[in-house]
Amino acid sequence: MEEPGERRAHPELKKLVAEASRALARLDADRLEELALSCQALNRDLAPGQRRDSAELARQAREAQGDMAVFARVLEATRANLHVMSRLRELRAGRLEYGEGQARGWTRTESGHGDN
Amino acid sequence: MGTINSAFSLMSQALDADQAALNIVANNVANASTTGYTEETPNWQENQPVEIDGVSYGTGATETGATSVRDKVLEQRLDQQQQLASASSARLTALDSVQALFTPDSGSSSSTAGDIGSDLTSFFSSFSSLEANPTDNSDRQAVLSSAKTLVGDISNAADSLNSQRSALDQEAAGVTSQVNSLTNAIAQLNLQIQSTSPNSDAGTLEDQRQQDLSQLSKLVGINQITTENNGLEITTTSGQLLVADGSSSQLTTGTVDGMTHFFVGTTDITSKLASGGGELGGYLTARDQDIPDVLNSLDQLAYSVSTSVNALNNTGTDLDGVTGTVADPLYIFNEPAAVAGSASAMSVVMTDPNQIAAAGTGDGTGDNSNASAMANLASQAIVNGQTPTDYYSNLVSTLGSTVSQVQTENTAQNASVTQLQTQNDALSSVNLNDEASSMTTLERSYQAASQVFTMLNTIMASALNLGDQTAVS
Repeated sequence: MEEPGERRAHPELKKLVAEASRALARLDADRLEELALSCQALNRDLAPGQRRDSAELARQAREAQGDMAVFARVLEATRANLHVMSRLRELRAGRLEYGEGQARGWTRTESGHGDN
Repeated sequence: MGTINSAFSLMSQALDADQAALNIVANNVANASTTGYTEETPNWQENQPVEIDGVSYGTGATETGATSVRDKVLEQRLDQQQQLASASSARLTALDSVQALFTPDSGSSSSTAGDIGSDLTSFFSSFSSLEANPTDNSDRQAVLSSAKTLVGDISNAADSLNSQRSALDQEAAGVTSQVNSLTNAIAQLNLQIQSTSPNSDAGTLEDQRQQDLSQLSKLVGINQITTENNGLEITTTSGQLLVADGSSSQLTTGTVDGMTHFFVGTTDITSKLASGGGELGGYLTARDQDIPDVLNSLDQLAYSVSTSVNALNNTGTDLDGVTGTVADPLYIFNEPAAVAGSASAMSVVMTDPNQIAAAGTGDGTGDNSNASAMANLASQAIVNGQTPTDYYSNLVSTLGSTVSQVQTENTAQNASVTQLQTQNDALSSVNLNDEASSMTTLERSYQAASQVFTMLNTIMASALNLGDQTAVS
């Protein structure tokens, strides 16, 4: 249990950012959601009245800037990939709806007689 | 009897169809670990119903072949990202070698290119020592000795950079034959695919073509254009045609200014390939942009230091009372005629330490005013508006920032390739549920990562502000 006034031990910002980039690269949604919770906790600790070790946090922030740039680029690439995949899904849905029959080998035709 | 025969025929067809489908499944299993193999699913076609006495009877389904579970949009996106990742990987490897050259080696007893910064300080400091004892022979020897160390490290750095450039040139030239072999193979596959499967997926032939395209994407930046009858046209990213259905254009090489240049027909596409992606793009960017930038800076440093020191030494008086003239100058370094090539050609031409003109003209040989002026060059903006040590520091920090930027790009591009491969694998997996789940994972990951990014951005901004406040108080 955390004692009143005692600070949680947070991972170094640099490690946190690098871990977020790695998790996003391998699309580890569970890990990313855990990291989001960690960030929320860290954010709370930065609220007015909780500010301690400010010089240490500033040092960590400066050290993490390079990793943050990497994270931003990975996020940008993911957004582009997501866009491609979404368009792909729309394309497939269109094909299925209009029955062009080439998508994903969905070429099996239903018999109108129900006997095959 | 007719009805019984029809029934037997129907059963027979159903068994044939099931057998064919089982063969496709067996093929999928057999090739599960084959690189580039795409899972195939059977195609079914309804047979024409038979009418007997006005009643329509179904006659089952026939297996009409297999369709590969592939998606060209995703494969093309993967190829594009692979091109970028390969280019930045090749460039990063080259830049790492360049950066290593300028990193001081604390374990080495001999001076190296990484010591140029301290060499500059030592060289100008040696004039300060001479200033204190202008006639002292050992202080004069120390000036020449430190000049030789500086020259050795600068010229070695330039030679190493030129060697690295030559090595990259060979790597780039070596890619040509691989590119030509792949474009030939793709053109042949185009012909086979167009003749056997003009209107449908060509299965393993398309797998082979996709494998070749992936390989080609690692080597060079390309665009893919699907043509009639399931054919494929490939151009470089700048639009030079490499493959047009069944024919391919060879990439040829020639030497221009001592470096390999690349041609399609008679068009020199070297600079376009450099910005196009793939290993070739990375090699060429390092060869034609990154290394020349560093070499130019080193040339400028060598040129400015040599000409500034020589000019001052030539206006002073040496220990024998001699002052340099145009015809018979008193130079410490060889006088460079131009900036280009100065680093590699830099040398110490003075052999007699007495020729160091420590005294001002007409002030007697015991004077130290010119030694003082030469020592002061260390703090004067003699190299493109900067002091020699500041200029060198900027050279190293600019290089470091380029390496860091390319590292960032490379990490992001590799991450993107990993994501797309994951998606591609899911696409080729067994069922649609897997595919939907994969898409959901991508969406969830992106949303969670966006949250993490936004919060981290806020945290970092707050932390930096807190740091400022602390520093002020």
